[in-house]
Formats: sequence, structure tokens, C-alpha cells
Amino acid sequence: MATTIPLFASFKYADSLTVVGISFCTALVCEAISWILIYRTSSYKSLKYSIDKATKKLETMKTENPSSKLSIKKSKTKKIDRVETSLKESSRDLSLFKFKSGAVVALVLFVVFGLLNSLFEGKVVAKLPFHPITIVNKMSHRGLKGDDPTDCSMAFLYLLCSISIRTNLQKFLGFSPPRGAAGAGGLFPMPDPKTN
Amino acid sequence: MKESKSAKLNQLQQQENHQNAHLSPSKLAKLFDPDASWDKDQLGDVLHWIRQVVGLISGLLWGSIPLVGGIWIILFLAISSGIVYGYYAMILKVDEEDFGGHAALLQEGLFASLTLFLLAWILVYSLAHF
Repeated sequence: MATTIPLFASFKYADSLTVVGISFCTALVCEAISWILIYRTSSYKSLKYSIDKATKKLETMKTENPSSKLSIKKSKTKKIDRVETSLKESSRDLSLFKFKSGAVVALVLFVVFGLLNSLFEGKVVAKLPFHPITIVNKMSHRGLKGDDPTDCSMAFLYLLCSISIRTNLQKFLGFSPPRGAAGAGGLFPMPDPKTN
Repeated sequence: MKESKSAKLNQLQQQENHQNAHLSPSKLAKLFDPDASWDKDQLGDVLHWIRQVVGLISGLLWGSIPLVGGIWIILFLAISSGIVYGYYAMILKVDEEDFGGHAALLQEGLFASLTLFLLAWILVYSLAHF
């Protein structure tokens, strides 16, 4: 099945461009769906506003110098607890709200992955400039014949595309989850999972 | 009550857009101003995009040369983190304790930049050298 346009036919691994192109388009479609179902709704906006407000309030309260008086310290701790509880509740509500609408996006991603799998099953779409570790090799060599560890399968390339393109697209469009929300940020911030 | 909350949100968004449109030149100056005050979100976003740019340029460069071997991933992480650290500690001179410590600042955009770097490196290497 022809998977590359004539312009890129001379490239041995031109299929990689097809994978990237489809990933990019999929990311745009997913964000468009998310915007329609989630981001433009007043519920989402008000929850995000609550979380941002609570996060800022919490930071201010935690960085203020603690008073030596025990009574003031106790009331401050109670206030911090109240704000933290409110923040956790808002974060939970936000997660629940996104989860309900994320099923549609998940379906789109599932279909696209199935399509890509059928197009590129058993095909080497790119060459890795490094020898991957065993865990990574299981993904990067998925479905490929031979034992050259630098052969790259569609699945690994698609994974890289998904994470890098969608994370940055969400960031660019302002759809990233608020930093104060539970599960946001961290060492490995993935694209917003509730819209996956 | 719901209407007034919605109206308040819209007003806030409009103010933000108004500020964004009118503050672009000063925003650019702020990026290199050690006396500027930074919001946690603003600084986090700037560091995120610095990482992405470094990741993209590194991937394109190393794929073109080409540089081969897993060691270049470690070196990329070191260079990228060094640039981010140099930016917030030496150019902006921010107190990292106000922003959650070095770890919080250094991890902004780290994973996304690593995947972007790998993607660019793999693509350029595959297309340019085979």
C-alpha cells in the first residue's frame, strides 16, 4: 500500500514522516474535540479558576512568616488545611469532569493507532541513532523481524510523537491542567490523561 | 449567582488578553531582567519552552552531524538542564525557594523536551543518513 507521497519517495524511511504527520493531525483533532466538550464549558473554566485561586492562596499562606503566638499558628494551620481540602475537592471534580468527556478522545486515539498499526505492521519506519535499553527495545522493536536493535517500529515513533506534540500543543493552546491540580506537572508530565 | 460568576470569568479572561496584547515588548525585556518579578506559572512556562527549543535544536543538530550513541542522550539532559539552571539562577537571579526549589524548576518541560529531542534526532538521522 502506498504510504508516502512522491516528493519523499527517495527517503528510505519516509514512512516516519507519515507517522509524524498523522500524529500531528490526530493531536489537533483531539484538542479540538477536547475544546468542544471540555475547555469551552463554564464548568471547566470555573473549576480551573477555583484551583488557580486556591493554589495561589495556599502559596501565599505557606510562605508567610509563622507567628510565635500559638493561637495564631493554630488558626493559620486550620486555614491552610481548609484551603488544601478545597483545592483537593476542586482537583477531583476537574478530573471527574474531564474523564466523562475524555472517552471520545480515547476512541479517536484507539482508531488512529489501529489504522497506523495496519499500515505499518512489521515495517521499519526509522533508524535509532542509539542502542535502546531492554525495556525501550520491547516497544521500539515491536512487531519487527530480525534482531537489529536500532530498527524502529511505528509504535515507538508514535509514542514519541504523541507525548511531544500533544504536550506542547496543549501548553501552546493553554489547555494544560493547572499546576495546583493533583497529577499535574511532576517529573514526567504526560499530555493531559483525561483527554487521552 | 452562576451568571455573575461566568461574567467574572469572562472579565478576567478579557483583562488577560488585553494585557497579553499590550505587554509583548515588555514581556520580551522581562525575559532578561533580573529585577522583574515572576509568577510561578509564568516562570514555569518560560522554562518549559526553553527546554523545548533546546531539545529541538539539539535533535536537529545531532541528527545532522550525526552523533550516535546513548551517551548523547545523557549529554543532552546535562546541557539542557545546565542552560535552564543558568537562565533562572544567573540571568534572572530568582530565589529557587520561592518556586519550589531547584527540582521543581529543573523538571519543567523535561520529559516533553526529551521526547521532542529523541523525535527530532531519530527523524533527521533516519532521513538524512539512509
